[in-house]
Amino acid sequence: HTTETINYTPTLASPDLGGLITASTFVLEQPRCVFKDLTTEEIWLVVAVPDAVKDFNNSLAPGTPERAFQEFPNATPAYMTLNTTLLNYPCPKPSEDITVLRVGSETSCANDASRPNCNGPLPNPGTYQVKFLAWNGSSPVAETRWSAPITLRTAKQPSSIPVPGSGHSAGMIALTTILSILFAILLAGLLAMLVFWGSDTCGGSSSFSKPEAVSVRRYNTHHVYDQPAARL
Amino acid sequence: MAKSDDGIHILQGLLVFGNVVIGICGIALTAECIYFVSNPNGLYPLLEATENKDIYAGAWIGIFVGFALFALAVLGIIGVIKADRTLLLVYIILMLITYAFEMASCITAATHRDSLTPNFFLKQMLERYQKSGTGNSSDKSLDERLTQTWDNLMLQNKCCGVHGPSDWQEYTSAFRVEHNDADFPWPHNCCVMNAQGSPVSLDGCKLGVSGYYNSNGCYDAISGPMNAHAWGVAWFGFAILCWTFCVLLGTMFYWSQIDY
Repeated sequence: HTTETINYTPTLASPDLGGLITASTFVLEQPRCVFKDLTTEEIWLVVAVPDAVKDFNNSLAPGTPERAFQEFPNATPAYMTLNTTLLNYPCPKPSEDITVLRVGSETSCANDASRPNCNGPLPNPGTYQVKFLAWNGSSPVAETRWSAPITLRTAKQPSSIPVPGSGHSAGMIALTTILSILFAILLAGLLAMLVFWGSDTCGGSSSFSKPEAVSVRRYNTHHVYDQPAARL
Repeated sequence: MAKSDDGIHILQGLLVFGNVVIGICGIALTAECIYFVSNPNGLYPLLEATENKDIYAGAWIGIFVGFALFALAVLGIIGVIKADRTLLLVYIILMLITYAFEMASCITAATHRDSLTPNFFLKQMLERYQKSGTGNSSDKSLDERLTQTWDNLMLQNKCCGVHGPSDWQEYTSAFRVEHNDADFPWPHNCCVMNAQGSPVSLDGCKLGVSGYYNSNGCYDAISGPMNAHAWGVAWFGFAILCWTFCVLLGTMFYWSQIDY
């Protein structure tokens, strides 16, 4: 029988998540309240390169080499992983919970050919598209739409970071200028002093004496009376 | 006359006061520079890694300049009170030499503070944090100390990277060579830790759920102490030098008024 197409597009989770897209993983919203009346089927996630989307064959079963993670993307253009029953996607979704699927989180089985359904890290940042596919053991039952293309991060080399060689702030320039000017004035003053000293020994100038330990004598002003004219 | 005598006495008083202030500031400068050199925030390995230690050179010079200022201030006070020309000439010349050294210290500290931009620390962190592998032993020990400094920085200040955890995603790094992207989108020290020192939720941390990882960068925690250091060495030194300039000019004038 034909596969039912459900009108749901898988989306990335909330952009609040810091690790929404990394170099080898990405985070999808869980398909809550999407598949109805499918109690025994398993919901699989299909990850494919965009070229495989057009003529995608839903009937290739998961676990076969054509849908094995370890063969992706060289030998096969798509793989299936993250299988679970609807019990893990209960509806309705509690609003406080973070319900996400992290694609690429299983590193232990990435090279283990006996685990073709491994949720391994994506091998390169290239563009991918995903959809959910419901299987009932031997054939596909329902599918969602394909997601928009998802591109992962490409990291740059640290040598590309520009480290400006000489950026002098205004403060540093002001400090250098002012200090240099002050120092020049002081040197000029020292020079003037030495010249002054040289010429000073030849001629005197107004200067004060070294304070000596002198005692100031106090004068008793002695009134001299005008002798009145000789009294008679 | 009485008036010019008074004027000279006032000048003497001012010069003594000026030298007292210089002496006190010299001691303060020495104490402050010893504090900075003792590396209280543990950030020295970050500077050591790039041969950009001159901000510490400024502090080292400051220690000795501070002592010199104190000693010369005492000499200056004696010279002013005794009005001894030779003593004051020695004082002025030695003060000028100290002035030159302190100028070098201030300018060095200010210039090298300018070169400590976020990108500077970012590049160094990406190239050296958790770097392993071959290299000569001094490089390896430098890498270890830098790694330890960053680990302490991230744990104590609850921060991650220089600008944020995205630093580890935007650039390849020595860390990335050692740890794959899926298990370690950023170092585990960026996760919120419980009392035992392990992440509260490793999955939450890897997903980047706020509350389970530290989303802010560490640059503020680095630049805060560096700025305080630069202000302390460069601008306090500048203030001392401006005051010293006035005192030295006054001393030169006073010297010219002494009758030999």
